[in-house]
Amino acid sequence: MRSCTDCSLQVEGDWEHCPLCGSVLHGTEPGGPGAPGPYPAVPLRFSRRRVLRVLMLTSLGVIVLSFLAQLLFRHDAESLGALRSVWLGIVATWLVVLMAVSKRRNLAKFIVYLVVAAGGVSVYWDFLTQWSGWSLTYVVPIVCSASIIGLLITVRVVRMELADYVVYSGLTVLLGLTPIMFLALGWVEVAVPSVICGALSIAVVVLLLTLRGGAVRHELATRLHL
Amino acid sequence: MKRRHWVRLDNASNIFPAARSDVDPKVFRLGAELDHEVDPALLQAALEETYERFPLYHAVLRRGVFWYYLQDSDLQPEVTAETEQVCAPLYWADRRTLLFRVVHHRRRVSLEVFHALSDGTGALWFLTDLLSTYTRRRFPGEAPADDDAAEQVRPGANECPDPSPAQIGTHPGAQAAEEVHELTTDSFAHYFRGRRRRRDPSSHEQDFTREAAPAVLTVQEDDAPQDQWAEDAEGGTPGSSRPPRRRIHRVRGTRTPDNRTHAIELTMPAAPVLGLAKAEGVALTMYLTALFFEAIRRTDESAHTTSTMAASVPVNLRQFFPSTSARNFFATIRVEHTYGQGDDSPGAVARHLQETFSAEATPEALERRLHRLIQVERWPLARIVPRPLKDLLLRLINHANNRSLTVAISNLGRVTLPAPAQSHVGRMLFHVSAVRPQFCAISHDGQLTLGFTSPFVETAPVREYARLLTDAGVEVSLAAARTTEEELAGVDA
Repeated sequence: MRSCTDCSLQVEGDWEHCPLCGSVLHGTEPGGPGAPGPYPAVPLRFSRRRVLRVLMLTSLGVIVLSFLAQLLFRHDAESLGALRSVWLGIVATWLVVLMAVSKRRNLAKFIVYLVVAAGGVSVYWDFLTQWSGWSLTYVVPIVCSASIIGLLITVRVVRMELADYVVYSGLTVLLGLTPIMFLALGWVEVAVPSVICGALSIAVVVLLLTLRGGAVRHELATRLHL
Repeated sequence: MKRRHWVRLDNASNIFPAARSDVDPKVFRLGAELDHEVDPALLQAALEETYERFPLYHAVLRRGVFWYYLQDSDLQPEVTAETEQVCAPLYWADRRTLLFRVVHHRRRVSLEVFHALSDGTGALWFLTDLLSTYTRRRFPGEAPADDDAAEQVRPGANECPDPSPAQIGTHPGAQAAEEVHELTTDSFAHYFRGRRRRRDPSSHEQDFTREAAPAVLTVQEDDAPQDQWAEDAEGGTPGSSRPPRRRIHRVRGTRTPDNRTHAIELTMPAAPVLGLAKAEGVALTMYLTALFFEAIRRTDESAHTTSTMAASVPVNLRQFFPSTSARNFFATIRVEHTYGQGDDSPGAVARHLQETFSAEATPEALERRLHRLIQVERWPLARIVPRPLKDLLLRLINHANNRSLTVAISNLGRVTLPAPAQSHVGRMLFHVSAVRPQFCAISHDGQLTLGFTSPFVETAPVREYARLLTDAGVEVSLAAARTTEEELAGVDA
């Protein structure tokens, strides 16, 4: 019988590695190294990991194709009309769910992804429906402000290591500064949402740098190390 | 058209069809390792012979509007090579299949049983009969002179029939008491209802709450005598049997790739382990349980130094209330230990667990508990609740019950087989499909086998368990079923 020196026990069957600790087994069975164990090797009926990966990739494919398919139709209301809104609405929700599932272990990261995806989709949507600027005027600033507030709440409620969220919080706040740029370039018609979002972001940046400046610098130095 | 006998599913069993899931099909496996490669043809012949002696095993499980019921069938069991995972599902709604299977692989014979049909002790009777029939055919020269050897292992098989249905309530399907005596014996009803005055004997076939018993049985009302736990009781109504609200540590992990039960077994000589338990002044089951707590505490980062761990331990009620029924007849006792309140060495933990267990496992305590349960179960309103709703309720109860358990333990004890089988069977095996880490112990031929099962791929608690034993000077050998994708790489369907 083979034995595992780490666990100091005998292992029955043709295992190369210890089923408990994974270390290489020593010795051979009297009947040779391939002596079969008391359990047959039963093939997997399915693999949850593979099923999830196929579902994820298929979903991403459908989402990307749905977005691209919009370009085939004219941009005026008569072409697709309400159908486009329904279609894009479902696809965007699906995208958010996928991101939430795949990034469920890192809430701060998910918020950054959410802001980028929501902003991107709304700008594209705006472009598809004869560009009227509603995405830059309202959606992007509101999503950015909401995510900053959401992040502040999340950090309070969920037990998170400072190092785990500080970089993504920084990214979220930087994204919150983009509406100021829209304002400066004159891309927005109503200034209030962008102003509120920009002010909130600047306030949080200042707070972050004064209260947690050291930690931010340390994390950035670690992650950007060449 | 043939009128088939049927019996409503008994007290302890209803939780099993209700609470079964993809992860935990509520199947257990009892096995034996012979001293030669199993002869499938002889095993089949032995199975057919044994099958005739156990009418209960002819049953298929069916669903009525209000109850599950076991119905007699003409199905014939077939011995098969082992091609499925340990404790593969046995019951599917609307499919009429036998509720057990016999498989063989190399030198092993395994009996797998859906838990609604029978418990470990009942299944052990069947396996014992099967093994002794098989070995008598395989080694005809060694067979004992008279055939009584096979019968005596199943207490009073035909010589001492269980009480007739007339004594415990009848229904139209059960006139032939002789023929279906296992099918008509409900040990719970026999022992715990006997003293009650019955107004309507036929009515108690239909009391809902009885079905909840297995889950409710694990509830303890007086397991926390310590003062510091007194505040826990404040929220509950006085005299209620709710478990304390303390958070019980639960093991988490990554599910196996196709929901199969992860089975690992540790085999060791029984004597040194018994010696270790004796040195601590506790019974083997509690010693093994304390080791399991310790192994989990050492490997689980989320187990704090002050966490509470709880285990459910089934008790074979036949020891206290003699019965020859092979149906489910057990109660579970819940034992727990809170770390960080004194001596936390495995020995001390085992003694603490033993105190709780011994207090609960007396005939008086068990009888009190079960009498009270039956009172609750006779609540008449519950009878008219449709089965799907009852299933849902039982599932909820089961879920709540799972939340209050860290592990589960089952010990079938030392097995002695009749003459020809005893000398040809080496170690015996015992596994139960599990929704949480669990181990089952059984010993035969001086060898103790611990069958660990878990829905997770992680093996750290078992590794630590083995180390605890080997550090104490016990020689341990390990056998495991391949479970993860890496372990099964290259194995094709």
